[in-house]
Amino acid sequence: MDELWHASYRAMVLLFSGNPGLWEIIGISFAVSLKAIVIATPAAFAAAFVLAYTRFRGRGLVMSVMNTALSLPAVVVGLTLYLLLSRSGPLGDLRLLFTQTAMTVGQVILAFPLVFVMSHSAIQAGQRSAWETALTLGASPPRAVLTVLYEVRFGLIAAVIAGFGRIVAEVGSSMMVGGNIAHFTRNIPTAIALETSKGEFAQGIALGFVLLVLAFGLNIVLTVMQRRGGIAS
Amino acid sequence: MRKFVTLLLGIALALSVSAADAATPLRLATTTSTDNSGLLDVLLPQFKKATGISVHVIAVGTGKALRLGANGDVDVLLVHAPPAEMKYMHGGNGVNRRKVMYNDFVIVGPASDPAGIKGGKDAVKAFEAIAKHQATFVSRGDDSGTNKKELILWRDAHIKPQGKWYRAAGQGMGKVLQIAGELHAYTLTDRGTWLAYQDKVPLKILVQGDDRLFNPYHVIAVNPNKYPDVDYTGAMQFIAWLTSVPGQHAIRDYRLHGKQLFHPTAITKH
Amino acid sequence: MNAALRLTDIHKHFGERRILDDVAIALESGQCHVLSGRNGAGKTTLMKILAGLERPDSTQVKLDGVARPWRQLRHTLRRDVVYLHQYAYMFDASVEDNVGYGLRAARLPAGERRARVAEALERVDLTHLAGANARTLSGGERQRVALARAWVLRPRVMLLDEPTANMDRESREQTWFLLRRLRGDQLCVVVATHDTQAIATLPDVHLHLEEGKLRRQPAGAHDPAPSPVSAAHPAATAHDPRREGRM
Repeated sequence: MDELWHASYRAMVLLFSGNPGLWEIIGISFAVSLKAIVIATPAAFAAAFVLAYTRFRGRGLVMSVMNTALSLPAVVVGLTLYLLLSRSGPLGDLRLLFTQTAMTVGQVILAFPLVFVMSHSAIQAGQRSAWETALTLGASPPRAVLTVLYEVRFGLIAAVIAGFGRIVAEVGSSMMVGGNIAHFTRNIPTAIALETSKGEFAQGIALGFVLLVLAFGLNIVLTVMQRRGGIAS
Repeated sequence: MRKFVTLLLGIALALSVSAADAATPLRLATTTSTDNSGLLDVLLPQFKKATGISVHVIAVGTGKALRLGANGDVDVLLVHAPPAEMKYMHGGNGVNRRKVMYNDFVIVGPASDPAGIKGGKDAVKAFEAIAKHQATFVSRGDDSGTNKKELILWRDAHIKPQGKWYRAAGQGMGKVLQIAGELHAYTLTDRGTWLAYQDKVPLKILVQGDDRLFNPYHVIAVNPNKYPDVDYTGAMQFIAWLTSVPGQHAIRDYRLHGKQLFHPTAITKH
Repeated sequence: MNAALRLTDIHKHFGERRILDDVAIALESGQCHVLSGRNGAGKTTLMKILAGLERPDSTQVKLDGVARPWRQLRHTLRRDVVYLHQYAYMFDASVEDNVGYGLRAARLPAGERRARVAEALERVDLTHLAGANARTLSGGERQRVALARAWVLRPRVMLLDEPTANMDRESREQTWFLLRRLRGDQLCVVVATHDTQAIATLPDVHLHLEEGKLRRQPAGAHDPAPSPVSAAHPAATAHDPRREGRM
């Protein structure tokens, strides 16, 4: 117990003294994960809309695949991506292994199903007459899509936050395709894994604290969003 | 809404630019224990000063490091598992293998020492005793250099370690020491990691000094014939520097917790 | 009287049932049409097709006698016809923004848009609620928003789907009154309804949909007895002096 307090204290000192090593790690985490969520979100929204509003033969199959993808462990994504990106693999010529780009790709794969499933749910919960009303009032189909999405925006925001929450904390994919290289591909979760395995609990706790604060903040925003979404309909 | 999204994208881009790297760095695969010893944190800046080359260190288990070399995902290896290395070389995966340094392994365990091996100089006899007493032993179980060394010792003792007393952890050395500490068990560890952990775990060195506990390090360049676009010149510069006088002296002078950890072997006369 | 919309060769089936069987419809500007028929007869389907929101079976529906591919047709219909749902959907925004939605979609400059919205709000007596969130309004108020929202676009045709289905008598009369207010020379209104009183007193033209066939009823008829004259016949839509002066 003593050690826990001691480590926590040193963790706070590290954080608030602006320790550059620490903040560099935090910066890498945000750079990678923000990029990933920015890429995954429009694609997920578009796919969710198409699935909610059009009828085609493979619809049920797509839903099943996406729902299953929610249970994909990050390390499986990481391993598959490593095999693809390795110099000895099919996409080796892209030279993407052990770069932040590879980490972003892995996180896009992890975020997409989650954002897709949740936004699909939100769009389906919305009323179909919204779409028809928009069209009949003269909106072009693209504009009508944006209107429909805006009407369920709270559910969509919740989906994005959930997706971001998942990827900013994942270690399996980042470790595999990023390589946990110091100053380069070491983000919060991979750093925590490294530091705790070295017994450097202070650093581990400091980083864990950042992650917890982030997760907590996200959860509060999520709850507020969802409550407002409930009232607004 | 649009403003908010633009702001977010701006932040993302700013962060990403700041974390990018300029020139193509040299990729070194090494073991976690080597990385954890802190030696590279001292060597690499000196190497950069001498040659201007930045090095990206990917620290994984020995098995994985060799795999990365075989797949052409790194440019140079620094590992310490000679039998596995020979196999690697025979597979045509590496060139210019050079010895760099050595450190040693030690057998640690609880102060109570139920198997009675304390003070011994024979690692194989110690393992025999541990198996005989069925004293808890924690193994790396991860195909690392340490793991391979451990398995060779069991083989030399003509023992196949199995049963409740033999725990394969599948973790790094630091974790394994922590586990051994918790379980009051024996384990085989490299001296570097031991020095870093001796104050953190309730274990003691019980057996050391056996030639069989010798842990030699080699540096190997990834075969440019197999992967033409690997940074071969960079790898050779790294090998050159490591085996040069300044490099060898830097290795010799490295201290962990006040003790010398690595002994240079590339150049005989210092 | 000019034709606001003339569509022929409309077919639609759901599974086995023929909902619309070679339906032809001609609507005139400035006239109020009532569309009657029992529940499930296909009034909504017909209206949605007229509004370009639902696709008919036949790919060669004729507009003004000319056959056109649905893609093209749909575009024209969506532009000239507005369909109002039975329960109007309110966007999560103010009443003003709801009413101005179509104008914004048409990229009307802000000043002109605001002026037209204000005018529409006045017509339906909602000026005092302009800033309120449309979702906080009562059913009757929502309907007025929907009416204003459609009317402000100056469409050729407005289709109202059962606007008074769940209303008490007073609200119903208010609605019909409002419709009368919104009617103009260029606007054609079609109301699908069960309200017998409305059917009797409201329209210039009474159309009845039954068994997939659309027939024109004599004016004022309570009992929808089928008349031999089909609505597509130009002669049947000729100006009828009997109906002059009615609303």
